[in-house]
Amino acid sequence: MSTPVLETENLVKVYGKGATRFDALKGLTFEIHEGESVAIVGKSGSGKSTLMHLLALLDEPTSGVVALGGEPVTALKPKKVSQLRNDTFGFVFQQFFLNPNQTVLENITLPLKIAGVGKSERNRRGMEVLEQLDMADKAKNKATNLSGGQKQRACIARALVNNPTVLFADEPTGNLDTATSEIVEDILFGLHRDQGITLVVVTHDEDLAAKCQRRLMMQDGEIVTEEHGATGVHA
Amino acid sequence: MRSVDVARTALGNTFRSKLRTALTVVAIVIGSFTLTLTSGLGAGVNKYVDTVVGGFGGSSQMFVLSTGAADAEPTDGPAEYDPEAAASSGGMFGPGSGGGVLTDSDIETIEEIENVSAVDPMVFVSPDFIETPDGAQYDLELDVPANALGLELAAGDAPGDDGMELSIPEDWLTIFDTEDAEQVIGETVQIGISNVTGEQSTVEAEVVGVSEEALSGIGATPMPSRELNQQLNDLSMEGYEGQAQNAYTMAVVDVENIETNEQGVKDALVEEDLLGLTVEDQIGAVQGVIDAVSWVLSGFGLIALLAASFGIVNTLLMSVQERTREIGLMKALGMSSGKVFGLFSMEAVVIGILGSVIGVVLGLGAGLLGNAWLTGEGGPLGGVAGLTLFAVDPLAIIGITALIVFIAFLAGTLPAARAAKKDPIEALRYE
Ligand SMILES: Nc1ncnc2c1ncn2[C@@H]1O[C@H](COP(=O)(O)OP(=O)(O)OP(=O)(O)O)[C@@H](O)[C@H]1O
Ligand SMILES: [Mg+2]
Repeated sequence: MSTPVLETENLVKVYGKGATRFDALKGLTFEIHEGESVAIVGKSGSGKSTLMHLLALLDEPTSGVVALGGEPVTALKPKKVSQLRNDTFGFVFQQFFLNPNQTVLENITLPLKIAGVGKSERNRRGMEVLEQLDMADKAKNKATNLSGGQKQRACIARALVNNPTVLFADEPTGNLDTATSEIVEDILFGLHRDQGITLVVVTHDEDLAAKCQRRLMMQDGEIVTEEHGATGVHA
Repeated sequence: MRSVDVARTALGNTFRSKLRTALTVVAIVIGSFTLTLTSGLGAGVNKYVDTVVGGFGGSSQMFVLSTGAADAEPTDGPAEYDPEAAASSGGMFGPGSGGGVLTDSDIETIEEIENVSAVDPMVFVSPDFIETPDGAQYDLELDVPANALGLELAAGDAPGDDGMELSIPEDWLTIFDTEDAEQVIGETVQIGISNVTGEQSTVEAEVVGVSEEALSGIGATPMPSRELNQQLNDLSMEGYEGQAQNAYTMAVVDVENIETNEQGVKDALVEEDLLGLTVEDQIGAVQGVIDAVSWVLSGFGLIALLAASFGIVNTLLMSVQERTREIGLMKALGMSSGKVFGLFSMEAVVIGILGSVIGVVLGLGAGLLGNAWLTGEGGPLGGVAGLTLFAVDPLAIIGITALIVFIAFLAGTLPAARAAKKDPIEALRYE
């Protein structure tokens, strides 16, 4: 087995205090290996997004450890954590979060801009990713003028532009019709297959979950079952 | 994020809601316009005063007056008669003499003070008339020759020490039926003066210069040479019975090493009930008033800026609120809190730079145009030679710009800290 890229140990997240105390995650321990595709599935409110935020270092656990490449990140300085997120992760959020005033190219190169990459290099790499996703002709369009599917592809382009090791996607097909969902799924699994990206997908969508190599079923802040083996097109 | 990208992004964001930015900038423009104008006004007037001081040249000089009032010691009953004091209170020796006049014994006292190298007593004469070559006579009041140093000349030279010379003001050219100042140079005039017994006599004098009126008032009246002044004085004293008692309006005293000895001489003068004033003393008081006025006006500019800085806080707080998601996204994608703070402070600085530059340019434009119009040919203050109401002081302008940018930065810190504190998850959940 390959080294775990992400691992957790007894991960606990508690929201609120006293009477409003709510245990969103109740001590999760699991590993995600490099090049794996993992789906986090569960009912609404079961703690999927909370878990993804912790894995993606967007939030800190109440207790427990998240380790990246074998190293616990809990002790790191905020600035270092920001940098890790920028270097290592790609995000596709439930909503698009595209800046409507900027062009598609400007939107998708934001992670590079934050990383401090120069403008010409940014644009070169941005165009590369857009071509990969068949979006090169939209590069100069304002982000508002895209269709829903194109917006989601732009979001994926933004997630990929910094060559991440791990791609997190929260409900990547939640806003799309069936046909467009399929295109987006194809892109995600194509990347997983061809570039060996580790894929962590939070979803309600049975089809999408089925295509992943592993499914973590969540209920009330706990992983109740774990399924192995993709039942979809990619074996 | 690179600094250049921070700057560029901040600039782009500033122009995203143009109207809002414009209104915020206008508030700053008003402040920076006011400050530019008031500081330029102070600089301009002070510069003019400086040139007036420069006109007086010899700063080793001190003007000595009798404090007069000190003579009038409170007494019970009638004061004993004192011929010197009587001469001192002789009312005929014109204006500007303060409380009293200087007597010959005062002059001797002054000469004995340490470090005084020369004493030049000034008499103030009151002639009756001036007669032009064509025989017309006009009322005449003469300035004192000591003021010759402050004379601004339109033509010719200032009246000197020797020779029966005088200068006339520019607006007196009409009595010679000419508008050309050069033409009256060399003209001969008669000056009539009465002596103590009422007998009138005349002396001849040559016009050697035409003066412009300075803000100090020097040059507004004809000015005699020292010799002419002395001659007129001698004529007016003719027929005086008994011992002639000279009386002087003031004395011009040369002091050695005035920087170090100024205070010593002044103290010595005070002991003799005399008052010594350097040119700086006289001008310094004027400049102090000018500075005070321009500071008060600048205070209004600062109040405008204070109001404007709340505008910046308000604008940026709105902007932070509107862009909560964008901030959350940037932080989620790995932008550090420090950079987020930097980005929003930079937006405040951009607004500050915009406002200050526009305000300074408008202020300079208004100041220079206003100055040109007011003091130019035919303007309301055009008659005052060398007057500047507005001067460009590069240091002050840099200072104003820096101050405004700094104020804008300070105003931006509150919204910027708000933005930097945003939790990416909260921000991404924000609807
Ligand atoms: N900031 C918070 N304060 C208090 N409770 C919170 C907070 N964030 C999340 N929760 C609670 O934690 C639980 C898990 O939330 P989470 O967003 O992880 O659910 P989810 O599984 O992603 O649901 P969905 O499928 O609807 O997105 C929910 O009951 C939610 O109300
Ligand atoms: Mg969720």
